[in-house]
Amino acid sequence: MKHYQFLKINKYKNSNLSNLQMATKPWSILLVLFTTLLTSSAQILYKLGSNTLTFSFAGILKNYYFIFGLILYTIGGILIIISFRGGEVSVLYPIIAMSYIWVSFMSQVYLEETMNIFKWIGVLAIILGITSISFGSKNSASGAYAK
Amino acid sequence: MTTKLWAVGLVILATLIGAFGPILLKKASAKKLFKISSLIKNYHLFGGVALYAIGTILFIPALKGGDLSVLYPFVALSYIWVSLLSVKFLGEKMNKFKWLGIGLIMIGVTLIGIGS
Repeated sequence: MKHYQFLKINKYKNSNLSNLQMATKPWSILLVLFTTLLTSSAQILYKLGSNTLTFSFAGILKNYYFIFGLILYTIGGILIIISFRGGEVSVLYPIIAMSYIWVSFMSQVYLEETMNIFKWIGVLAIILGITSISFGSKNSASGAYAK
Repeated sequence: MTTKLWAVGLVILATLIGAFGPILLKKASAKKLFKISSLIKNYHLFGGVALYAIGTILFIPALKGGDLSVLYPFVALSYIWVSLLSVKFLGEKMNKFKWLGIGLIMIGVTLIGIGS
């Protein structure tokens, strides 16, 4: 037990190293995946709300789409912070990038927008790009803050 | 609905302003966060949250000017800004993976623009 505690303390002392060695836990991957669905839904609600948005305090409070979107987005933000306790940034960020796929699908279903081959390849390139930046941030802390 | 150029411009501006948020938050994280007297004087923390909020607020009116499936992918530009700003302000280093990622994101948003 004592030995275990010693290891634990050592791990916290060198947090950079512990990030590298920590295996991402399945619960954190599932939580991030769930969160992307929440934040993607929030984008749809923002868009629906933006159509009737007026810039007055009462106007914003009465914009239920916007308020509901904001609530979902805030819950998403809290869940992301929790999920980062169980995982590596380089693994979790590419999963966060899945939201670009969800938003593309949801825009077709709920906003009657159209997708085409250029837009789909664009989405794919963006996800690969985020994956690459996350991988490149493995050794620095910056990845944790790349939105 | 065709996406207006001003809407794309506003989203790009929003991501650029919003990207300063994480930079300030990173600086804020170096200070004591669990001591009230230190916390209320943590200007980086308040500045970071404020910039992040401004970025989000600017995004909403931009959505009036176009399709979400076109405008939302442009939010990915914030990864580019954060990578470059952390070199300038946090002394972090670029590497080939980051440059590759920047290139891919730029190709991605260009294709979205072509497809819109």
